[in-house]
Amino acid sequence: MRNSQRTISRCYTCLECKSCKNMTKRKFESGDFVFQSIGECSECDGSLMVTMIFGEIIE
Amino acid sequence: MDFTSFDLGEFFGIGDDFLSEMMMLIWILPIIIFVFYGQRIQLIISSNEIKKDIDKLEKFKNDSRQKLIHYIKNTLNPKDDPVKKIDSFLEYFTIMPVDLDPNGIIPKINHLIHSREDFTRLQVKSLFNEISDFELTKVHNLLEIATSLQLFHKITRHLYLTAKKQKNFPLILPLQMMIPFIMEEANALKDAVESMKNGQPMGDGIGPMVVGEMMLGVSKQNASFETVWAKSEYEGRELLLVKAEGPNATVGRPGEAIENIIPQKKPDLIIMIDAALKLEGENSASIAKGFGAAIGGIGTERFKIEEVAVKNKIPILAIVVKQTIKEAITLMSEDIAKQAKVVRNQVFEMIKENSKSGEIVMIVGVGNTLGVSQ
Repeated sequence: MRNSQRTISRCYTCLECKSCKNMTKRKFESGDFVFQSIGECSECDGSLMVTMIFGEIIE
Repeated sequence: MDFTSFDLGEFFGIGDDFLSEMMMLIWILPIIIFVFYGQRIQLIISSNEIKKDIDKLEKFKNDSRQKLIHYIKNTLNPKDDPVKKIDSFLEYFTIMPVDLDPNGIIPKINHLIHSREDFTRLQVKSLFNEISDFELTKVHNLLEIATSLQLFHKITRHLYLTAKKQKNFPLILPLQMMIPFIMEEANALKDAVESMKNGQPMGDGIGPMVVGEMMLGVSKQNASFETVWAKSEYEGRELLLVKAEGPNATVGRPGEAIENIIPQKKPDLIIMIDAALKLEGENSASIAKGFGAAIGGIGTERFKIEEVAVKNKIPILAIVVKQTIKEAITLMSEDIAKQAKVVRNQVFEMIKENSKSGEIVMIVGVGNTLGVSQ
């Protein structure tokens, strides 16, 4: 029951660079979807991909 | 024991004085009231509680309708005012096939469900001059949510009003037992509207998320309506990957897809990945493995998969990620999203343990693939 009373407050998008595996997290933007190529990595110019979109849980 | 000296007046507190008469009233009156009006009192108390929930359901129903209309009017570009059409969609009903003779009922249900889906899709399309598949599937899902909430409200209100009209307490008991479950589902549906509008993945999308990553970088083909498949390879085994076509808000038709693929490529093993409702006491996002076709819904898709698997003697293994109904249809939680990697590793372990090099393994990601591509 405790779990079902949780509410999700904020949605985040996780990005991972295919080359250097650098991971970043930012707020969800309209049009984001999982496994979408989303520009270049700021560290190594590799391709960035959305690996996860999830809600932050607040008890 | 001498019963002849038993004093009835003394037993009921009846005496000569005023205090004793009052005591008698305190004793006897509630008994008389409860004997004759007990059920009515219980009916009033129970129906007051149920009425509060029905008011909540009405609010959910109106809110979901309003949000759908607002979304269509403000985000999409409808031809005309969509309100009249939306209201008429909400009133559509489905008459299930007669089940007195259940033989052959599955194709009938299948036909009915597909006809309803096709009809709704056409009706939604007719609202716009042009609409992308992504937005079309989202509006279709939002319409289903609003329709379900409308149905919940109508049925509970009917049972409540019937019990009140008949002044029949036992009639309200089934509703009293069911209302917490109805409210849990209604709450989940109400919360699903926001993530659906935003195109964000839901907990049910864990199966497509696992298979979607396995499909990256390989060419995809159409397997059936809104369902794709791809070939891949893992440690000498050929993998046939199946999932609904993302990032659209659809579950696809995996049963039909498997039926179509199996005559071309007979797999030696089928592994299905899906979200499953957790039991009370179980942890959310926990993983369980088992046997059989892991797929929900009305049962027609599962029937097709079981039929074709039995016909070709293909074993079916399942991996499920446990979650509540709310987690399954609202924005995917972090715990569930993080399990995608774990499930993928478990699928590979399962492949190694249950198949030999050179064999073909089919992996099916079941669930709504909204916000999850491939």
